[in-house]
Amino acid sequence: MADKPTLAFFSLACCEGCQLQVLACEEKLLPILEKADIVRFREASDGDADHYDVTFVEGSIVTAHDLERIKEIRAKTDTLVALGACATIAGVNAVKNFQDPDDVAAYVYGDKKEWFPHIAARPLKAEVPVDVEIHGCPINSDEFLEVVTCLLMGKPYRQPNYPVCVDCKLAGNVCLWNKGIPCLGVVTRAGCAPLMCPSAGHKCIGCRGLVDNPNTQAAKDVMAEFGLTVDDVLREFRLFQGIYDEVAKEA
Amino acid sequence: MLPQVLKTSDLGAWVEALMAESRVAAPVLKETNVSDPTDLKFGWQYVPDPADVRLDYTVTVLGPKKFLWPPRQKLVRYNLGAGAEPEAIIDHEPHVLLGVHPCDITAIATLDAAFAKDVPDPHYLARRSDTAIIGLDCGAPCDESSFCLDMGSLYPESGFDVMLTPLGDAYFVEVATQLGEALVEAAVVRPATKQDMEAHQAFAEEKRSDFHYKLPYELKYLPEILDASYDSLVWEAIARQCFSCGSCNIACPTCYCFDVYDEVEVDLSKGCRVRRYDSCQLDPFAEVAGGENFRQERASRLRHRMFRKGKYILEQTGRVGCVGCGRCERACVAGISIKDTYVQIAGSR
Repeated sequence: MADKPTLAFFSLACCEGCQLQVLACEEKLLPILEKADIVRFREASDGDADHYDVTFVEGSIVTAHDLERIKEIRAKTDTLVALGACATIAGVNAVKNFQDPDDVAAYVYGDKKEWFPHIAARPLKAEVPVDVEIHGCPINSDEFLEVVTCLLMGKPYRQPNYPVCVDCKLAGNVCLWNKGIPCLGVVTRAGCAPLMCPSAGHKCIGCRGLVDNPNTQAAKDVMAEFGLTVDDVLREFRLFQGIYDEVAKEA
Repeated sequence: MLPQVLKTSDLGAWVEALMAESRVAAPVLKETNVSDPTDLKFGWQYVPDPADVRLDYTVTVLGPKKFLWPPRQKLVRYNLGAGAEPEAIIDHEPHVLLGVHPCDITAIATLDAAFAKDVPDPHYLARRSDTAIIGLDCGAPCDESSFCLDMGSLYPESGFDVMLTPLGDAYFVEVATQLGEALVEAAVVRPATKQDMEAHQAFAEEKRSDFHYKLPYELKYLPEILDASYDSLVWEAIARQCFSCGSCNIACPTCYCFDVYDEVEVDLSKGCRVRRYDSCQLDPFAEVAGGENFRQERASRLRHRMFRKGKYILEQTGRVGCVGCGRCERACVAGISIKDTYVQIAGSR
């Protein structure tokens, strides 16, 4: 990395909430600005450059145009960081992958649907190599700062590889399952603490994707014992954890 | 000091007097099950108000371990670059743990042994030496998950400064240490009468009749029974249900494994070395440099925990690794039970 590395931010299909989470770091961004130049950041400034040391990309690939853009960005980037659920696991965009593409287009664009051709939603890693992933919907600002700190120090960032249950127990929460509420925390990658949903009494909906090597079969068994149907279980899993591998093959 | 009696109505005043001297942690009501108002959920907390103390509690998700060893603990602070000046953070202040059940008293004794052996752990030991323990005897098992009688944790002989026995509208107060005597001096108590002593003996007799053995063998055979079960198919069978979520370890009052990492300020000027609870059930727990993982299989991790709790910790510290509190079973979404597992392997060859 050069003396003062260049950073860039891009958005594909998303709500840009993860960029707002970056801005929400507020004064903690100032030390980063002393050590790096942000050359592209639509939510905060104008400008661009020919090469980026680190690029943060939020959003999913949902059009052929997105596909071109991510390949261009990748070609100009040394370290590509996928920012948020849409970029890491296709996020809520992948919900449409389980419905008829024409119906989906008609639902959103009505009789103008032909104007907006779309492809199955997929995360960045389905199309280009991704160096670092920051999960979540939206991302956790603290994790963003930790990743930037690691990049500035030239040390690898190791994302949490354990389920939400660990942090939930550490918080002393009474398990939602014990209260009759099915929760995806058992198979979902942690990293959201201390702002995790179960601490506020809401079930985990899996926005950080699956932990490596999850026992999804056990999760489905437990949900079935709870009286949930196969459709209920799949719906729980598909909100954030659409099966992008198969989708990517189809493209 | 001979036994004393504290009226239940004077408990609040005692807690207040203790709080004037140091922080007091005790079980408090956390929440009530929305679908069953009789299902109360308790948790250990530093007490904000003496009226919040609930000595009628049964189980908690986490034990009082978290006051001796916080789930996330800063160990060393340092500067980056020249003049790193690392400085150990030994952070402790006097505190009282009020209402510790026998299982947790026994568990703390295991932690004491674990953190004192080999290289003594100054972070734990400093907090421990500043901790006063007021025990609370149990008259009946908390629920189906507990098997403290089997694991020999129901009748601790030491590890507490004061022991309270609930006798209806009063507590029978026994002092075990000098520190305990000082604590009791802050309470409005009266010496126990013959009738109080009889009531205490009656409590003990009832306690003996209310707890029943749940394992088909004595604790002393458990390490050998585990040994014989090492290649059993039972581990694979149970592991099919296991999420490897680590809840069992996090909730366990004797688990003492931790992970160490660095937290560096984003301006790269200084940082802290921090430790947090780790879990042998997690995929990366046994991963070493180079990416090799010597317990990659879920079943081997699950078996490892059962062996730690029933054999290895005992062999290493001389204290039981499992106190039979049942927290791991209650915390397990899949309903995996260490007690049932120890029953299941009884016939292994």
